[in-house]
Amino acid sequence: MSAVMQARDYTWPPEGPSRAPYWVFEDPSIYAREQRDVFRGRNWHFVGLEAEIPEPGSFKSTHIGDMPVIICRDESGTVRALVNRCAHRGNLVCSKSHGKTEEFYCVYHAWIFSLQGDLKSAAFRRGIRGEGGLPADFRLEDHGLQKLACTTFCGLVFASVVHDLPPIEDWLGEVGQGIQRVLNRPLTVLGYDTQRFSANWKNYHENPRDSLHANILHTFYATFGLSRQGQESALVIDSSGRHQYFYTKVGTDKPGTDYKEAASTLRSHNEGFKLEDPSILKWTDEYGDGINIQILSLYPTFVLHQISNSIAVRQLVPTGPGTTDLNWIYIGFADDTPEMTETRLFHTNLAGSAGLVSMEDTAVCQMVRRGTSGSADAASFIEMGGKDLVSGGSTKLSEKGLRNFWHTYRTQMGL
Amino acid sequence: MMAAASESVRHLVEDLLHEWARRIDEDRLEALAELLTADGSYRIASRYNLDRGLQLSVIHCRGPAQLRDRITSLRIANVYEPHYYRHILSGVQVIGESAGALDVRTNYMVVRIMEHDGVSSIFSTGQYRDRVVVTDGQARFAERLVVFDSKAIDTLLAIPL
Repeated sequence: MSAVMQARDYTWPPEGPSRAPYWVFEDPSIYAREQRDVFRGRNWHFVGLEAEIPEPGSFKSTHIGDMPVIICRDESGTVRALVNRCAHRGNLVCSKSHGKTEEFYCVYHAWIFSLQGDLKSAAFRRGIRGEGGLPADFRLEDHGLQKLACTTFCGLVFASVVHDLPPIEDWLGEVGQGIQRVLNRPLTVLGYDTQRFSANWKNYHENPRDSLHANILHTFYATFGLSRQGQESALVIDSSGRHQYFYTKVGTDKPGTDYKEAASTLRSHNEGFKLEDPSILKWTDEYGDGINIQILSLYPTFVLHQISNSIAVRQLVPTGPGTTDLNWIYIGFADDTPEMTETRLFHTNLAGSAGLVSMEDTAVCQMVRRGTSGSADAASFIEMGGKDLVSGGSTKLSEKGLRNFWHTYRTQMGL
Repeated sequence: MMAAASESVRHLVEDLLHEWARRIDEDRLEALAELLTADGSYRIASRYNLDRGLQLSVIHCRGPAQLRDRITSLRIANVYEPHYYRHILSGVQVIGESAGALDVRTNYMVVRIMEHDGVSSIFSTGQYRDRVVVTDGQARFAERLVVFDSKAIDTLLAIPL
């Protein structure tokens, strides 16, 4: 007797974007649909920095969802994005993470592609001594690497399999200003850090969109006044709801009894924790606007942070419904003094895998994954600041960013 | 290079390496910074970055006070699922001496054991690149550089390596 698996009912809870049903984080068919509707869907995807491919012939390999992708700079200096899959029988054409090349050479059967992705030659195309070879109707121009649409913004490279997306400035909307504020001059790469964790990519994507948790989970922030709820801050969501950023200004704490009462219940407001060497808290207001923290998220996988003088981007690469890579690239500027470079490197202690501020994020995502195990039909409750996409004003004390993410996701996925 | 560090000096250096690992594995993290010199530094960086000439560290304590602060932060501020380490070290090589300190190389493997379900996994492998000063029969780290082999860290790096 065979057991018949009931197909899951993929009906979203009636409350809409203020709920996220837990099956969305673990269901394998949802993960498969995301490859089509999100990662090959109508989105610009962050794939790297122009500074990672500085010269003609420079390349980098990365992923958009499951799909391996190459970005490179061709002979004329134009940035290109290609699917890293030989047009012959699917071999990975490029197996190095970074490098420089004149052409892409597939080791399996020596199909050779130009930096634009065009097929230049295929070994033994004409056979040998009149035998073998490709058919007479074979045309090189029909068998290049799949080309992605590719664009850049403030030194960030975006790509998509979709070739008729709106220009990147329109895609980013009001949130583009948050990028322009931080990445306002030529970038350099200070280094890489990758966290590999056991949760769904959306568990993590929710996290920097969740402006509420920062001062609660991250004790380091609140204890040292780097970020507290009573400080001047704001949340900016673009009109499509896809992207957002929030920012905080250190030192602008306003006294108030409602904050004091709320803070007294938080473990994060730990008056007993003093630093023996507080130099980690010193920073330079390089943008001259008092903002010491800005966290910017683009749908579906990108984060840009400014935390004191640490600046970095993050890219989410799903590796299965329950596993994800988070790739950090730390950034400096070409005009940084050696002292500023040193400061940026030092402030890396606040972020990334060992971040005094941020290390909790992947841990809590994994804990959510374990907490929701066995409860695929339950859902999260996302009503801080309101129940819909527009309520909640511009305070950070809101889950409006999360509701807008779920609305965007549901629309793309037809859920 | 000094005429092969004497037996007793080598023994002190080896003991220092093992002592560092043991203080971590036995959860005596507060005693760790004692093993640095007064201005000793502790840095953790990936082979991936170092091979490419990139200066990024995931942890950089520019002195014992910063290491003590990081330990305090782990104890009372940071959130992570409880776990332990078990260090396995290779033999210790003194490969040279310069500016009054010995250059030392040791391989390490750290297994991480999760408290809640006992899952044990190889968390990190790599190489310790150390500068060790021996004064009055006591060895201390002037510089500890932990180079980890993988470009990826499993979940987070909370407890020092």
